Amino acid sequence: MAKFITIGERLSTTAPSVNKAFTERDPEPILKRAKQQLDAGAVYLDVNIGPAENDGEDLMKWAVKLLQENFDNVPLALDTSNKKAIEAGISVYNRSKGKPIVNSADAGGRIENIDLAAANDAIVIALCSADGIAADNDERMMHCQNMLERGMGLGMDPSDLWFDPLFLVVKGMQEKQMEVLEAIKMFSDMGLNSTGGLSNNSNGMPKNIRPIMDSALVAMAMMQGLTSAIVNPNDLRLMETIKSCDVFKGNTLYADSYLEL
Amino acid sequence: MPFNQKPQKFNAKINTVTVGTGDKAVTIGGNSTFPFYTFDAPTENRPKIGVEITDMGLDEFAPGIKAYYEGCTTMAEIAKKAAAMEGGDFVVLNLDGGDPNGVNKSTEELIAVVKEVAEAIDCPLVVEGCKNVEKDAELLPKVAEALQGRNVIVMSEKEENYKAIGAAAGLAYNQIVGAESADDINLAKQLNVVTTQLGVDAKKIVMNVGTATVGYGYEYVVSTMDRIKGAALSQNDNMLQMPIITPVSSETWGVKESVATEEDMPEWGSEDERGINMEVMTAAADLAAGSDAVILRHPQSVKTIAKMIDALV
Repeated sequence: MAKFITIGERLSTTAPSVNKAFTERDPEPILKRAKQQLDAGAVYLDVNIGPAENDGEDLMKWAVKLLQENFDNVPLALDTSNKKAIEAGISVYNRSKGKPIVNSADAGGRIENIDLAAANDAIVIALCSADGIAADNDERMMHCQNMLERGMGLGMDPSDLWFDPLFLVVKGMQEKQMEVLEAIKMFSDMGLNSTGGLSNNSNGMPKNIRPIMDSALVAMAMMQGLTSAIVNPNDLRLMETIKSCDVFKGNTLYADSYLEL
Repeated sequence: MPFNQKPQKFNAKINTVTVGTGDKAVTIGGNSTFPFYTFDAPTENRPKIGVEITDMGLDEFAPGIKAYYEGCTTMAEIAKKAAAMEGGDFVVLNLDGGDPNGVNKSTEELIAVVKEVAEAIDCPLVVEGCKNVEKDAELLPKVAEALQGRNVIVMSEKEENYKAIGAAAGLAYNQIVGAESADDINLAKQLNVVTTQLGVDAKKIVMNVGTATVGYGYEYVVSTMDRIKGAALSQNDNMLQMPIITPVSSETWGVKESVATEEDMPEWGSEDERGINMEVMTAAADLAAGSDAVILRHPQSVKTIAKMIDALV
């Protein structure tokens, strides 16, 4: 089995300083956050430029070039609802360290992002929901099937669709947590890759609690077969948990310094 | 149904390490398949063979090996003869005589031998320590210094002395570090991690992951090498992608099957043949399990293993 793939989530317009840096094309804050995440062990970096309706194409190209030129062609997840911006980003993307990830498609209004990924030989995150959160795993797996068939019909390798069960917030949806974990097991049993915004579970919790909840969930999800997650790689407890789970799963060979690798 | 061959492709390869300088330099590693799986992808570099001599001259050699070196009186002459052995790619100097529990030669005395050997030959050179970790920590940095510019492998870097040997050989004098562990896959990886953390380039490290003579707990050797190659290739683990170099002869020429005289054991047959058989069987198994180079002594063993490699690559 391959090692768990972490996608660093900290380059997002939801952070005011990042939003400002994107708008002003100011490299320094972007590079700083990227470096922090890569030093902490992130494999991919998510580049969330928001809706970027006006200058999305130009902005995504700028961000892709900036990050890949400065960090040895780091692989990236291109995260925006602006499809043209994703295509523009892919047009300047260097694949030597991994295919670009389209973040994201769903089984509803954003299903065409699968077509976009297929046309550009990209990976796509396939959110198992259509209009609103899936009511149960029957619905989740129906969306999964639909998206899988669409991707394969367009010539995609099934391993390039990374299914996202949609992690749900514990405060408010505690009774749904095991269902999400069961969906991951179903993806895994089908031999599919999976990912998701893991830290969703701890939304609204005190700052000191979140790393504990996120670490526990990632361990349970990896046991179920989760192959990737969109995470804050600067959460040391979480990263240590992921590295330890990779050892237990036999995804990497243990050495005393395994946490430093 | 016709047979449909599906090659096993890895997006990873064993590091390529060049030993020595100039025309005679040899390259080990570089392959992206399991050993001799030429049907999956072509072999980049064929496995190499080192010819081992020791600072003790011919004293400790079996009669059949001594016969090859007949007439040699100095270390320089022995080294030249080793370099000329048919099928050999490089010379290995074992500094056994430095062992404080043995002859306990001084570091100065051994460095003089190292220099004499190095000056006598122009093929690549590999130097092994004396098995004592404290003595090696003092001796091998001096070896690395004395051989500056020759791009040699300094073997015998262990968990207990990696700082002294790794820093001197890998950093200060730009040689290749031979990291040694004993059939312990986790330690093999760990030693590479801490050696690179000293600042040594991962591409200047080779591994001696341990061996045994066939029949002497040899299954552990196979499983260690096999798992290392598996992790290096299928998991692209860059802390296990160093080529493996295996000292075979220092093990096999010490077991009773190799040393018992025909007089003592008439039913076992020719002493020379038994020794060669143990060396050849072990070397062949090491190569099949994942060694990128083996170290041998007997000219017949070197010739036989070279022929085997020719036939398989």
